[in-house]
Amino acid sequence: MFSYLTDIWKSRYFWTHLSFADLRSRWRRSFFGILWTIIQPLGMTLLLSIVFGKIFKVDIYEYAPYILSGMIIWEFVTASAIGGALAFVQADAYIKQCTHPLAIYTLRTVFTNIIVLGMASLTLVAWVLVVMPGNFGWHWLAALAIFPILGLIAWPLATFLAYIATRFRDLPHALSLILQAMWFVSPIYFEAKIFKGGELHALVDYNPIYHLLEIVRAPLLQGTWPTIENFAFCAGTIIALIASAALLGRSAEKKVIFYL
Amino acid sequence: MKNNQITLENINLYYSSVAFKERSLKSLLGSALRVTRKNHEIHDVHALKNISLDIGPGERVGLLGHNGAGKSTFLKMLAGLYPISSGRRRVTGTVRSLFDLSLGFEPDASGRENILYRGLLLGLSPSFMREREEEIVAFADLGEFIDYPIKTYSAGMQVRLAFAISTAVGGEILLLDEVIGAGDANFMAKAKDRILMLIEQSEILVLASHDFGALTAICERGLVFNHGQIIFDGNINDSISFYQKSIEAK
Repeated sequence: MFSYLTDIWKSRYFWTHLSFADLRSRWRRSFFGILWTIIQPLGMTLLLSIVFGKIFKVDIYEYAPYILSGMIIWEFVTASAIGGALAFVQADAYIKQCTHPLAIYTLRTVFTNIIVLGMASLTLVAWVLVVMPGNFGWHWLAALAIFPILGLIAWPLATFLAYIATRFRDLPHALSLILQAMWFVSPIYFEAKIFKGGELHALVDYNPIYHLLEIVRAPLLQGTWPTIENFAFCAGTIIALIASAALLGRSAEKKVIFYL
Repeated sequence: MKNNQITLENINLYYSSVAFKERSLKSLLGSALRVTRKNHEIHDVHALKNISLDIGPGERVGLLGHNGAGKSTFLKMLAGLYPISSGRRRVTGTVRSLFDLSLGFEPDASGRENILYRGLLLGLSPSFMREREEEIVAFADLGEFIDYPIKTYSAGMQVRLAFAISTAVGGEILLLDEVIGAGDANFMAKAKDRILMLIEQSEILVLASHDFGALTAICERGLVFNHGQIIFDGNINDSISFYQKSIEAK
């Protein structure tokens, strides 16, 4: 396990290069380039806020950042899960001629997505500073924890899925369905109080996605520190995912090359 | 000095048949409905059978055998790409392998950028690659095309660049699979010199080839493969005559 991690560190030039190459190729020949990471969620949020604001009669200025925070983080999770599941298949040329640890290929996907998330979160921060300046304070530092936490969740998750998806190519298709289902039962766009009011409060209280989002939403949108419970749920998720990925990797890591 | 060494004990390698059987929903339903056909059953491929071997420092080993005899699998197993199913494999020393040269280019990036990318793929640092860049550019000899995207290259030009990059750095253990034979005649001569230089630098060489001339010139020891087994191990000249006899016997 330890030597596996040092190998990942040794090949850092390679996977960071792959990540940056992914970013470059994504916006090659586009006029706005990487600015699309900001424009896209912003436009989508405006759209949704206007529609939802009319339907649910909520204040658009405060509802918009709620949606935006949910959107960029959920976008990160789905992109890392689905993109990560295909990471080995996509990197087959490299896997067939070099003996780098396979986890660098999922790390590449996750690292790319983290950069995109970082760009997109600038919009959120700017919006909140303008609309709710009173929320600014030391507790915003806690919101920064979202980056390492998301990385540590998405990386083992993507690796775990990639081991399976290399062999069962149906997985990425099924995955988008599963993620859609998770989206419906989590307070990502819908406000948590909708769930909390009724019998569905378990969907919030024991939902790691809710606790994950709270790490950003509590400081930015409510002006408070995230609770210990929020962090505990994230830590639990991280440990569970790392354990599953490591356990599966022990037997699957070497066999991946046969399925490419 | 490190003692470069390859030690193999009772190595077996299987390609699992699950990997290349059709596993779609369609075939699953099909096989459930149809009476099982026996004639087309696919089994696990036993690609390397019970191989035990020692290769010490300074040895130059040539691999002989018809297509599908297990030479490439043997090399990829040595490189650590293919997992062994049983046995023990110990390789001491840095391994540099030249198998499929044209893999892993980025078509939209320029030749010069791809030099850096390939170097990173081989596990080298960016500063080291910048040092070597000019030398690689000079060897590939692509003129102004080096600053053009790879997708504008002809197949031959791609091979030349790939060859120049992959052979820029040697290793203590060098594994070659039929790489001599890239580009036009002029480049061929240059490539041959370069390969020979790499071979001289390396401590251990394992070369798979059908070119008997190259084998006798470079190697001292020969291994003859047949159906995943080593059927002859000895002096290269004896190995070649053994291999030729085994072909004639068929």
